[in-house]
Amino acid sequence: MNLSWLDSRLARRGAIARIARTALGVTAVDAFLAERPSGFAAEPLPAGTNIITLFMRGAMSHLDTFDPKPGREEQGETGVIQTKTPGIVFGESMKKLAGMSDRLAILRAVTTQTGAHEQGTYLMRTSYPQINSIRHPAFGAWALHAAGRHPGDLPGYVLVGNGNDHPGSGFLDPALSPVPVADPKAGLENTMRPAYLTEENFERRLSLAEKVDRDFKASYGGNQIEAYDRMYAEAVRLLGSVDLEAFDLSKEPESVRDRYGAGVIGKGCLLARRLVESGVRVVEVEVNGWDMHRDLFEELPTKAAGLDKALATLLDDLTDRGLLGTTLVVLATEFGRTPKINENAGRDHHPAVFSCVLAGAGVKGGVVHGASDERGHSPDSGAISVADFNTTVAAAAGLPYEKEFHAPNGRPFKIGGGGTPVREVLA
Amino acid sequence: MPTTPPSRPFLVALLVAAASAGLAASAGLVASTGLGAEAKKPGAKRARAAVPFRLPAAVRDAPDGASFAVAPIDRTARDSVRAAAARIDAILAERHARDGVAPPPSLSDSQFLRRAYLDLGGRIPTHDEASAFLASTDPDKRAALVDSLLESADWVSRFYNVWADTLRLTERPQKNLWSEAYLDWVKRSIAANRPYDEWVHDMLTADGKLWENPAVGYQLRDQGMPLPYVDNTVRVFLGTQIGCAQCHNHPFDAWTQHQFYELAAFTAGTRSGTGGKPEKPVRKEMRKGARADTADATAKNVRALIAESRKRANANGTKVNNAFTQFLQANGTVVNFRDRDLKLPHDYQYDDAKPEEGVAPHVLWGEVPQEARDLDGRAQFAAWVTSRDNPQFARTIANRMWKLCFGVGLVEPIDDFRPDNPPSHPELMDHLAAEMLRLDFDLREFVRIVVSTEAWQRRAIPYDPTTGEAFSFAAPSLRRQSAEQLWDSILTLVAHDPWAYERPTGEAFAAAVNLDLSRKNPGLDAAHAAFERYEDSQSPRKTRRQTMQTYGYKGQLLARASELPTPLPLGHFLRQFGQGDRETIDGNRTVATVPQILAMFNGPITHAMLERGSTVVDELAEHDPPQAVDVIFLSVLSRLPDEEDRKLALEEIRGAVDRRTGCGNLIWALLNTREFLFIQ
Repeated sequence: MNLSWLDSRLARRGAIARIARTALGVTAVDAFLAERPSGFAAEPLPAGTNIITLFMRGAMSHLDTFDPKPGREEQGETGVIQTKTPGIVFGESMKKLAGMSDRLAILRAVTTQTGAHEQGTYLMRTSYPQINSIRHPAFGAWALHAAGRHPGDLPGYVLVGNGNDHPGSGFLDPALSPVPVADPKAGLENTMRPAYLTEENFERRLSLAEKVDRDFKASYGGNQIEAYDRMYAEAVRLLGSVDLEAFDLSKEPESVRDRYGAGVIGKGCLLARRLVESGVRVVEVEVNGWDMHRDLFEELPTKAAGLDKALATLLDDLTDRGLLGTTLVVLATEFGRTPKINENAGRDHHPAVFSCVLAGAGVKGGVVHGASDERGHSPDSGAISVADFNTTVAAAAGLPYEKEFHAPNGRPFKIGGGGTPVREVLA
Repeated sequence: MPTTPPSRPFLVALLVAAASAGLAASAGLVASTGLGAEAKKPGAKRARAAVPFRLPAAVRDAPDGASFAVAPIDRTARDSVRAAAARIDAILAERHARDGVAPPPSLSDSQFLRRAYLDLGGRIPTHDEASAFLASTDPDKRAALVDSLLESADWVSRFYNVWADTLRLTERPQKNLWSEAYLDWVKRSIAANRPYDEWVHDMLTADGKLWENPAVGYQLRDQGMPLPYVDNTVRVFLGTQIGCAQCHNHPFDAWTQHQFYELAAFTAGTRSGTGGKPEKPVRKEMRKGARADTADATAKNVRALIAESRKRANANGTKVNNAFTQFLQANGTVVNFRDRDLKLPHDYQYDDAKPEEGVAPHVLWGEVPQEARDLDGRAQFAAWVTSRDNPQFARTIANRMWKLCFGVGLVEPIDDFRPDNPPSHPELMDHLAAEMLRLDFDLREFVRIVVSTEAWQRRAIPYDPTTGEAFSFAAPSLRRQSAEQLWDSILTLVAHDPWAYERPTGEAFAAAVNLDLSRKNPGLDAAHAAFERYEDSQSPRKTRRQTMQTYGYKGQLLARASELPTPLPLGHFLRQFGQGDRETIDGNRTVATVPQILAMFNGPITHAMLERGSTVVDELAEHDPPQAVDVIFLSVLSRLPDEEDRKLALEEIRGAVDRRTGCGNLIWALLNTREFLFIQ
């Protein structure tokens, strides 16, 4: 029975390869048929390691989530909850995660220089400061570059809920950039050809476009044009693929959808699980709304509870499916928030110290590394830079973090930014 | 038995289509090809007249243009424009000779036509516009085209999109800020071609409610965040990044935290009572017995009405009407200014001052202009920012406008002027800044000069800014169409009247929304009646359905990008193609992604183009294959096909199951070329 499925899948690959050759021109065929994009020497991730990153945009307050200071004036209205790990408390909204702290590694003394969202986010994503003369690749692009994507039609890297300021593949192959899914509930849209458009006509259209475009492409080369050639190839590869179901959350029972909760965080985590199960190697879920300059104690509990519910369910599901051992889950944000509560009952930007969390593949559970001082203002011990943090992520995912890669301009770069991994949290 | 895998239908379709094209033709695929695909059954051709249009009538009607007037351009100034353009070319030529740069060839007429329409009108030309220009024998036709574009609604739309991205224009920056009138004000300022320094000064000093004095929308964009307000203002108008200094002295930056606070001290007294609890310092002043002005009276009335509305809801056991509360708060938002001391933060860590010490206002460079020194802090700040003697004001906008035309700034990023990041072409930078002063900040005239240069009229050069190499400016860089250009270009292929829908005018919005709360409290019932009048006429919540019925197609509002709500949801075509989120300054991007291609393949706007009643389909109805090919090439790519193209196209049309299928395939194919997507 499985054979017929395999047959049709192979036949489909044949058809796609034919479209690639006849309709998209020779250049695109490589990208089409290669299971891994070309590039410099790559080293494989440990069998099947996947990465799911949850990025809290706007700067998640450390004091109200993973590094509370009970009894201090700075704590404001946020209460605390005892975790499964002795001596460790979380903000009171992290109810479920508190009960599974034995699966979490908390990094409580991440520190950075920049208190501006754009630069902070860029640094966290790429491990390098944003400068004008180069575009650094996002972590996910590095992971695919070094380890390749899984076989199949699905992209190697999916970004859920993002606007358009993601560094993407940076100076690496444009094919390594993430496929953005704006709204996890809607999934990947426009994947069905309209009923009137036959496969043959579709092919004719693509082939014609390619031919008319020859003069233009001969006159203007360059990365931008090449990037579009790659995206056309990727899009054709996806059209009509059986694997597209992975993007469709309605395939999940309502009870499962409820367990993950609403919003980009809930739907995004569920989508991340489905995608990883179907062979997407890297999923990044971006959740906005953490920039709480005003009324933090009114807004944070809902936001944090959404995160708690979604992340806890994700970890449970990955555990149940035997995927947590091969999937690294990262919770990150661009910086922290001020211990001092401002006159609008909010907290402002605070790069000096903040918290990030790791779980799953390559990571020890029940560990807290580093501590902030008694006010939550500066690192007290175990301070790590963003590069140290990302190098730790790279180490946990089995990526070659010590290896030098060279950008087209010859400058050397390392996955994770050349930091020192935090051994204490690595399994 | 496992169920049939979903890939089966795909293969079946493939095989059927390949094996039985003839059968398909007789089985009714004839008309169901996408090109005017209104027919679903065999024999539908005869019944066509009875099939309703799917494109809304409003956009199929003959165009009556935009509702607003645009300031006329001075055609007698062409000689001086040419001379000014020649000076720029001379400066570039000297540099190119020094650097050994060989400029690329000049644009052909059709390439010029396309670039001019896209850069100045924000869209591709229609078939008729393209034919007329290419057929014209007027030796001055390029200048004539530039002039007519710059006084068209298309230019206003295009330039509005540019500023919407820079100024982060959105209808609801916060729930209780209703900014429609401000958005319209920006558009009208462009249409009237008001001098840039003047409208910036207005934005930095405006007082009042959003619909009484819409320029207040700028200050309200960062309401409640006085420090980011200063940071953003200096970034946008003075091309300087001082944001890092908000928190600390940066080791590599010129600016100290103390300087940041000194600058912020000018505008710290900007207030906008929103009916909520007044800010602490205001409460203090009120206690001190300061005169309660109209803003305070308004705030008081708003608070009283909200409290009363809550009380009544509680008594009736109903929920508080949040929309009504926001309506009251929106009417209670009155921008005004009262000098106020700014204090350093409690954790100030440097030796030059103490934490929580008061800071006296001081500008970053130069001085506050003489004539403004007796004015209040905010007015002093505005005078300094927009002064002719503040070199950064002219340089920043000259560089911005240069980038708009060439795709790359002489200083990049355009908001990061500093000694360590000098312009790539210093002589040109100086000259352009001087030109900006000579033109008294007439941005449209500046753009008119730049696009009249030989450099701008040369073939584009592919350029990757991330290589770190400087751009030569021998021609514009090869740019992908912006999201708005792409949308408006496709709309050009769809809508006979792309201006059928326009965003509400400031006047219409003001008339519907205004409730005067500055004197006496009108009482809950009167306030609620005013709210309902607003809801019925202008509220986006209530009017959306009607709007979509009249101007919508498959969930898409068929209107110019400048007229669409903002920010659009992430999944919208414009956002997919990189339109900014209106939170990031200059947030538009042109990065390639897979969903963009899927939208080009299968998205609703691509379908709209092939519907019966679309501009391109109607144009085709009157032409047989050889001419039809010309029509399609002119409509989509703004050029005639060359011999090879014509051969391919005719083969396609003749080889297809029928002419309409072939034409549909050709239109679709041209839309999916890189030639379409990029501005060469």
